[in-house]
Amino acid sequence: MTASIRTPWFWLTVAALALLSLFVLYPLANILTASVTGDGPSGWARLFDNPKYMQAIGNTLLLATAVTVIATLIGVPMAYVTARHTFPGKGLIALLPLITLVIPEVIAAQTWLMMLGNNGLITRSLREVGIRLPSFYGWFGLITSMSFIYYTYVYIGVVSAIARFDAQLEEAAQSLGTAPGKSRLKVMLPVIMPAILASALLVFTMTVGNFAISMILSHRLPLLSVVTYQAAVAEGASDITMQSTLASVSVLIVMAVLFVNRRIIRRGKYEIVQGRGAKPQPLRGMRGALVAALAGLVVLISLLPLISIIIGAFTASRGPVMQWGSWTLANLERVFVSAPQPLVNSLTYAGIATLISIIFSAMVSYLVVKKPNILTPFVDYVSAIPLALSGTVLGVGLLATFHGGWLPLSGTATIIVLAYVIRRMPFGMRNGQATLHNIPNSLEEASISLGVAPVATFFRVVLPVMLPAIISAAILTWTTTVAELSASILVYSGGRETLPIQVFRLIDSGLMAYASAYGLVLVTVILLPIIIAARVFRIDVFALR
Amino acid sequence: MGIRIDDLTVSYGKENVISGLSLDIPEGCFFTLLGPSGCGKTTLLRTIAGFVPAAGGSLRFGGIDVTRLPPHKRAIGMVFQDYALFPDKTVNRNVAYGLHARGERGPDVARKVAEALERVGLGHLGDRHPAALSGGQRQRVALARALVIKPAVLLMDEPLSNLDAKLRVQIRETITELQREANITTVFVTHDQEEALSMSDLIGVMNKGAIEQLGRPQEIYATPRSGYVADFVGAANRLAARLRPAGGGLVEADFGQGRILATDAREIPAAEGLLILRPESLHLSTAPEQGFQNLPATVRSRQYLGSKTSYRLDLGNGIEVMADLHGPGHDGFAPGAAVSLGIDASEARVIAA
Ligand SMILES: Nc1ncnc2c1ncn2[C@@H]1O[C@H](COP(=O)(O)OP(=O)(O)O)[C@@H](O)[C@H]1O
Ligand SMILES: [Mg+2]
Repeated sequence: MTASIRTPWFWLTVAALALLSLFVLYPLANILTASVTGDGPSGWARLFDNPKYMQAIGNTLLLATAVTVIATLIGVPMAYVTARHTFPGKGLIALLPLITLVIPEVIAAQTWLMMLGNNGLITRSLREVGIRLPSFYGWFGLITSMSFIYYTYVYIGVVSAIARFDAQLEEAAQSLGTAPGKSRLKVMLPVIMPAILASALLVFTMTVGNFAISMILSHRLPLLSVVTYQAAVAEGASDITMQSTLASVSVLIVMAVLFVNRRIIRRGKYEIVQGRGAKPQPLRGMRGALVAALAGLVVLISLLPLISIIIGAFTASRGPVMQWGSWTLANLERVFVSAPQPLVNSLTYAGIATLISIIFSAMVSYLVVKKPNILTPFVDYVSAIPLALSGTVLGVGLLATFHGGWLPLSGTATIIVLAYVIRRMPFGMRNGQATLHNIPNSLEEASISLGVAPVATFFRVVLPVMLPAIISAAILTWTTTVAELSASILVYSGGRETLPIQVFRLIDSGLMAYASAYGLVLVTVILLPIIIAARVFRIDVFALR
Repeated sequence: MGIRIDDLTVSYGKENVISGLSLDIPEGCFFTLLGPSGCGKTTLLRTIAGFVPAAGGSLRFGGIDVTRLPPHKRAIGMVFQDYALFPDKTVNRNVAYGLHARGERGPDVARKVAEALERVGLGHLGDRHPAALSGGQRQRVALARALVIKPAVLLMDEPLSNLDAKLRVQIRETITELQREANITTVFVTHDQEEALSMSDLIGVMNKGAIEQLGRPQEIYATPRSGYVADFVGAANRLAARLRPAGGGLVEADFGQGRILATDAREIPAAEGLLILRPESLHLSTAPEQGFQNLPATVRSRQYLGSKTSYRLDLGNGIEVMADLHGPGHDGFAPGAAVSLGIDASEARVIAA
């Protein structure tokens, strides 16, 4: 170990750890301590005194539970039929991960409103034939829209587990005299259970941390992320007691979930059986048609946002009133000509963040995987912490930490980029480490034995081999950062609106046509690199998820 | 350049994997480190390469101390078990990599690369990527890549282990030919005794981080100096025996069921030792034969193996030996048959227990 101090790798590790401490640990520490160190009564006393806060916590847990259950009930059967059967239109299901990825939550929420809100297309047409739908604001809208977004995470997580599941196990159970349906349940369920639980917990944490949909659809129903945001806006950056307390609550909830998740994964290690997956069986006749219809319906509902923003972007409006059926280019003219700043900002910030993010995660995962020293485990650990921080929590932390003081970043473009980079970091690190684990050490040793120094070897051998993975990671980073809303909306200042912030503000003002236009451009900006990667570089971005 | 290792100690953390090892490999020698998995072969090879630091002792290439020199300055060529070809580069660029690292450019590089590939029989595959080559071809490219830079020493860690049996024999020949041609000092690591015996000038049999016996292949096989070496290199029947000098380099070994004259290979005279009988040095017949020391035995079982038959023989009192018979009718003794076991004194050895 002492010898490692002399290498450049050690000093790079020190630098990485210093950056992580400053931008992750320090803000987190600020949040966790500010709840008790502020003036007046402690944040915790105020939390327990105010029924609104207690309701918000209760509602959030209830909502997360409901969404988790429904998303699992949709995602698991769908994963099963697609992994084990072929049926008409199965190819459409493959689009699912793409859909969730390209549609920012803020746009999903907006389009649900455009369809089912008080003034929505479906609400109004049904009202004309005498059917009154319940108000989409509140529980109905929250649960529906979140379930139809988050079930895809269950689907993605479980479909690979079922595909990996060894069909021989099932056959063995059948050969021992268990009926096919029963043997499947008995043998497969315990094996894929860890995957189901892990993705269910992911849905749970995402619901707890959800900002965009909660803000837009909760209306008068208090939710944790909403009251945290409101506290942050009300308190500003000088008194951070209440926002920090609420943020701490959300950190504690997510940490509890992650703790459970770790236990499941640890248990799952013994249970995941790899082997020959079963060959998908065709479903014909009525059953095939039924499954196809159901799956098609789910995909259609998932696609609804895309369809409705396309329509909305070209629909004329007068103030908040959409004039359905009369078309215009005025909305897009605004995005590109009269108010292009959000587009420019988004491209700039997400571009810089993507660049920083891939360089940082490539270098740091290299250190962790290939050049471990006493500090690298800490680097690995700290870089995973943002997983436990929702965007709102991170926003509160950054705002509280870098307002004034010796590093006054609040209101600058830097802090927005910083928020993007930090939120994406755990995923970048995971991708980078997975890629590097697949590059044998002998490759570098071969280069060194041929006379190339270790640092040069990294650039000449490791980096080129990582390149396809880095391009994929860059695209994923781009798609997620360009859609980021919950942290950036807390730290941005006037003139630095990004596309999602602009969409959010327009929805807030009820200007759906303009919101659709900005939204459509946002989706295009997200989608374009994915299409280019698939067509030009033949890279399947989603293989790496 | 020869390699000289003095009092070398290597450790991972607290435990020494190698302690106080000394070894002298003459210039141009094909030296093989032979031993079972986990005995420290790779560790020693990687210490010579510089990837594992020496905790103590010294390492010299041709008289120059390289103990503290980083690996990329040691002028080594390495061949790995998993080939370690750069997957994003063509065969040509893989082979040219070390030349480029040495600042060589232009037509000279292309010529050397083409020559090197020609020599391993792959002159026509320069534009392919490694993924489009078979395992044997990949290892040939790796060999060309290591040799084209004219390294001071060539280091190979089980380079044949990932190949199937037929290819292994072919590439064995390629490696020895190229090594002789370039007269390059080579350290070759393997756990396969056949590879070691067929390729090497000198073999070091390793046991628990130490070199247990050093010698030419013939010496290692014919005169193992310990039961460990005898067992690891070739098959051996080992019988505990009481020893008595018999003059003329011979010793009388009493193993309980008989007395056998054997060649004495003990370093220190001791009254107790091991009688070593190679299965293929034993003779079987229906009646005692002239020129051999004969012992009565019963055939317990036989395994017909095509070119030979392997017999398990009972010498009485629970003492069993294996005997391999070659030649016409080698499977002619049936289980249960009473036979005579013939032993040649010059092929039987006793060693210290
Ligand atoms: N990187 C390492 N860290 C700790 N112990 C190691 C490491 N590499 C090898 N060892 C240990 O050192 C011993 C020798 O290993 P090695 O040199 O790989 O043996 P061989 O190549 O003969 O199979 C083994 O007991 C092994 O467990
Ligand atoms: Mg080894």
